[in-house]
Amino acid sequence: MDIDPSDLIVGLMMAVFGLVGLILASGAMDNEMYVFGLSLFGFACVFDFGLLRRHFDRMEARRHG
Amino acid sequence: MADAAIMPHSAPDYNEAVVRKFVIATVFWAVVAFLVGVWLATELAWPQANLGLSFVNFGRLRPVHTSAAIFAFGGSALFATSFYVVQRTCRARLFGGEALADFVFWGYQFFIVMAALSYVMGFSQSQEYAEPQWHLDLWLTVVWVAYAVIFVGTLMKREEPHIYVANWFYLAFILTIAVLHIGNNLALPISMFSAQAYQVTSGVQNAMIQWWYGHNAVGFFLTAGFLGMMYYFIPKAANRPVYSYRLSVVHFWSLIFMYIWAGPHHLHWTALPDWTQTLGMAFSVMLWMPSWGGMINGLMTLSGAWDKLRTEPSLRFSVTAVGFYGMSTFEGPVMSVRDVNALSHYTDWTIGHVHSGALGWVAFISFGAVYYLVPVLWKRPGLYSMRLVSWHYWIATLGIVFYITSMWVAGIMQGLMWRAYDQFGFLQYSFAESVIALHPYYVIRLFGGLLFLIGALLMVYNLIQTVRGKISTSEQRIVMPAAVAVAGE
Repeated sequence: MDIDPSDLIVGLMMAVFGLVGLILASGAMDNEMYVFGLSLFGFACVFDFGLLRRHFDRMEARRHG
Repeated sequence: MADAAIMPHSAPDYNEAVVRKFVIATVFWAVVAFLVGVWLATELAWPQANLGLSFVNFGRLRPVHTSAAIFAFGGSALFATSFYVVQRTCRARLFGGEALADFVFWGYQFFIVMAALSYVMGFSQSQEYAEPQWHLDLWLTVVWVAYAVIFVGTLMKREEPHIYVANWFYLAFILTIAVLHIGNNLALPISMFSAQAYQVTSGVQNAMIQWWYGHNAVGFFLTAGFLGMMYYFIPKAANRPVYSYRLSVVHFWSLIFMYIWAGPHHLHWTALPDWTQTLGMAFSVMLWMPSWGGMINGLMTLSGAWDKLRTEPSLRFSVTAVGFYGMSTFEGPVMSVRDVNALSHYTDWTIGHVHSGALGWVAFISFGAVYYLVPVLWKRPGLYSMRLVSWHYWIATLGIVFYITSMWVAGIMQGLMWRAYDQFGFLQYSFAESVIALHPYYVIRLFGGLLFLIGALLMVYNLIQTVRGKISTSEQRIVMPAAVAVAGE
């Protein structure tokens, strides 16, 4: 598979941030950290799904182009 | 300046998607910032407007307003224009690929939303313009480093031998904000799982570092970055070269050298040593010269093209912005003089000064850039309605005039009431009496802010119609006879 190195690096980085978000939410001592942790996890998931979608859209466009 | 319009055959495939996203964010956050500002002005005039709800009281909403105005609206405008300008002037696509640019966009928006949410929930580290807690500061650092990588990487792979002066201003803004942000937010969290943290410094050292940061947030975020915008968009809109390129380079180096020393003027008559206060005052007064050097360069770029102000309302925004820049960079040094500061500090004069810069300079130069960028980025022949741009200009200008004049009067009156003594040596007025005296001026300020918001809403309508590819029917009627005449030749 022809993966853009930028997609791969940023995607992996976001996966790590998502994990950090989950860890922060799991042990949160106040509302702020709980909200931040869960939001970071959600943001990382949506961002990575966006990268995946764009990757397959690009492949499809190449196949049809 | 190399431009796609000049060399269409050799222009690289620029990343315009991220610029478009930041332009949309700029306009969105502008409305949010002005709306919250109007609400806060209402609360100041009629405190019942906080509705008795903790999350919309003045203390919590105030950082939402300042962060939305400076970081969300101003920051998005800086990201949009810097990404646009660096690509065009270097003739190179953004470094780091689409994913990294998208990370900077969404990561920055995530920071803004999380910061606003934390303020209304009552979390703040109580440092002006640096309210977010440690975990949000760390997140912003990551986003900022990615931004610096993209910008510097693009400069390094440029195909133009010269680095255009606008990029120098953007670069100074990016690097200095990184240093200031890290320096001012050094803190020890009580736990990795808690938002609470203690600053590394305390007392007057902490105050000094805070205002080294605070003043240079003005100097490098709200000045250097927007000067980069001025040096690209005014020459482009006027279709004239920069008046003096040499002056722009002198302006750059003198401005960035002097700004960094001026912070102590925020701490006059405090526990800060006198020599430090004097140093801050001296550098603030010296700053007048480079600031006006930049203003003269911006205004003189229109030499021989002043007629364009009649036909290009968006250029009116940019030029008026430079006028306000000159005015507020004259007022700032005056207010930094210790004896003037004894009257002005802690009063609404400061609020008026800040808003002549924020509304007159920052917002107006951004509006000028946005009006220039939207038709270019969405490949439209022009804006939906030039008449609406003109309405926006006059309504917003009137709004600023109401705002700053009311705050000047209110601030000077406030300062004079606080220092008035009677024949027995007692204070002549209680604090509450000065608050009652300010009420009419707070209502006038609210009216000014409301006008500014209405102007911004006109801009939103105009830009949406532009993106939809429409042209105002009334303006088509004006254009038609000329078009027919040309076609009939």
